Amino acid sequence: MNKTGNIAFKFSSMVSFLRVIKFAFQDLARNISLSAMTVLILILMLLSVNTLLVIRVLTREAITSIKSQIDVSVYFENAVSQQSIDEVISFVTSFPEVIGTEYQSKEQVLEAFKKTHENDKHISEALAELKENPLGAVLIIQTRDPAEYKNIIDALSVPEYEDIIEAKTFDDTEKAIERIDMITKQVERLSYALTIFFAVIAFLIIFNTIRVAIYTQRIEIAIKKLVGATDWFIRGPYIVEAFLFSVLSTFLTAVIVFFAFRVLDPYVAAVFEQPSILTQYFFSHILLLLGGQFMAVLFLTIMTSFLAMRRHLRV
Amino acid sequence: MITLKGLTKQYNKDTLALDNISAHIGAGEFVSIVGQSGTGKTTLIKILIAEEKPTAGTVEIGGWDISGIRKSDIPFLRRQIGVIFQDFKLLPKKTVQENVSFALQVAGETQHRIHDVVPRVLDIVGLGYKADRYPGQLSGGEQQRVVIARSLVHRPKIVVADEPTGNLDAINTYEVIEILKKINEFGTTVVLVTHNREVVNSLKKRVITLHNGKIIADEQNGKYRL
Repeated sequence: MNKTGNIAFKFSSMVSFLRVIKFAFQDLARNISLSAMTVLILILMLLSVNTLLVIRVLTREAITSIKSQIDVSVYFENAVSQQSIDEVISFVTSFPEVIGTEYQSKEQVLEAFKKTHENDKHISEALAELKENPLGAVLIIQTRDPAEYKNIIDALSVPEYEDIIEAKTFDDTEKAIERIDMITKQVERLSYALTIFFAVIAFLIIFNTIRVAIYTQRIEIAIKKLVGATDWFIRGPYIVEAFLFSVLSTFLTAVIVFFAFRVLDPYVAAVFEQPSILTQYFFSHILLLLGGQFMAVLFLTIMTSFLAMRRHLRV
Repeated sequence: MITLKGLTKQYNKDTLALDNISAHIGAGEFVSIVGQSGTGKTTLIKILIAEEKPTAGTVEIGGWDISGIRKSDIPFLRRQIGVIFQDFKLLPKKTVQENVSFALQVAGETQHRIHDVVPRVLDIVGLGYKADRYPGQLSGGEQQRVVIARSLVHRPKIVVADEPTGNLDAINTYEVIEILKKINEFGTTVVLVTHNREVVNSLKKRVITLHNGKIIADEQNGKYRL
């Protein structure tokens, strides 16, 4: 191809590209009810995926909240020296699993005990009779995961600490922790299974919606072929339409989800004692919510148009 | 212009649509292909526009052997032939003007040329004043004239008409044939497939008669003889 031919070819390709975009908007407007129905179905599908996301967020939040309320208390012997206590604290904090400790001295424990039982006359009298503080210091330990408490407790259950540590609360909470751990794992498994289930349903809905939309235009596709249109000239507007459907459905879904989160947030806050969990999640994951869902819908709609159109292009 | 050599089309073991036919249609000729239903007339048209591939034999159009045409070349072949269908095959969601323009748009013609040519072609077929109507708002005869305008707009050297009057009344039939005659007078080769006896006899042009997929007569100034 010479230089003039090359320029003419490029110009012709550009003209065809612009026409493809024009035809896409024209088809969209002239098949407005079908277009609206396609966008509506895509929105419904995206809303169901977002509902699942909300369930996952709330489940995760609930699990984190329950886990953060679990801790293990180590009660020291009353007569143990501060040096021994410091040794235990430094031993415990050396574990990578430990994310926090709170030390309460004998005096602090006594103060807290008195405050708790200030209305109990018998306990107040008994304490007054005692000249010395009968209580020992306490160390409250928190780990990343409740399952890790056992490692810490096992490490403290050695002969060196037998005379220092009076008791550990772990034995009482061990079963509860195991149960929470089991429930957490089951909920996560269920959540993954639901995600796969919804993904399959979403794929089938999109596939069928686009297939029906293209099937209704199969005669037009054949006519275009008979008049001399190339496959790309026919496919082009459908790809542009798929893009527009994806933009519209993702944007409208994001708007609906945002307002739904705003409405739900006060109710969620009442349960988790934390404001705007859902709205915060929306903004911190906006790229995933908008970008990820847009890319997924775009990929599915374009792939489906290709598959659905292949048959009708054999003219 | 069109050369058929030993052209055969077999759909399955029991259906032989065209049986070893050979013919040559020269540039500027007006040829009627006649025959009863199921004699292979439409199959021949489909082979000419590469909608079907021959089982055996060759088809040459303007020296281009299209019997083994590549899929990617089919659009270019179709842009060189104007085709008039019995069932019109108009795009229902496009206006008259857009339907005619589409034949130029697929070939990448400029908007300037489309604006220049399309109104003139619509005037030739007498539909300039209905350019903004949709096919569903036109009568059968008017729709067929739109199809003729679409088939002419890219100035093809060959126009193939497959039963163009099959769905029309006598007046519209007369008008369509007159347009085809005029196209031919300007030098375009016209291949008319029909089983309308009156039309064929009034034309007094070359007639190729098909029967059971074979050519049984090929006469200049021929008549409908079945």
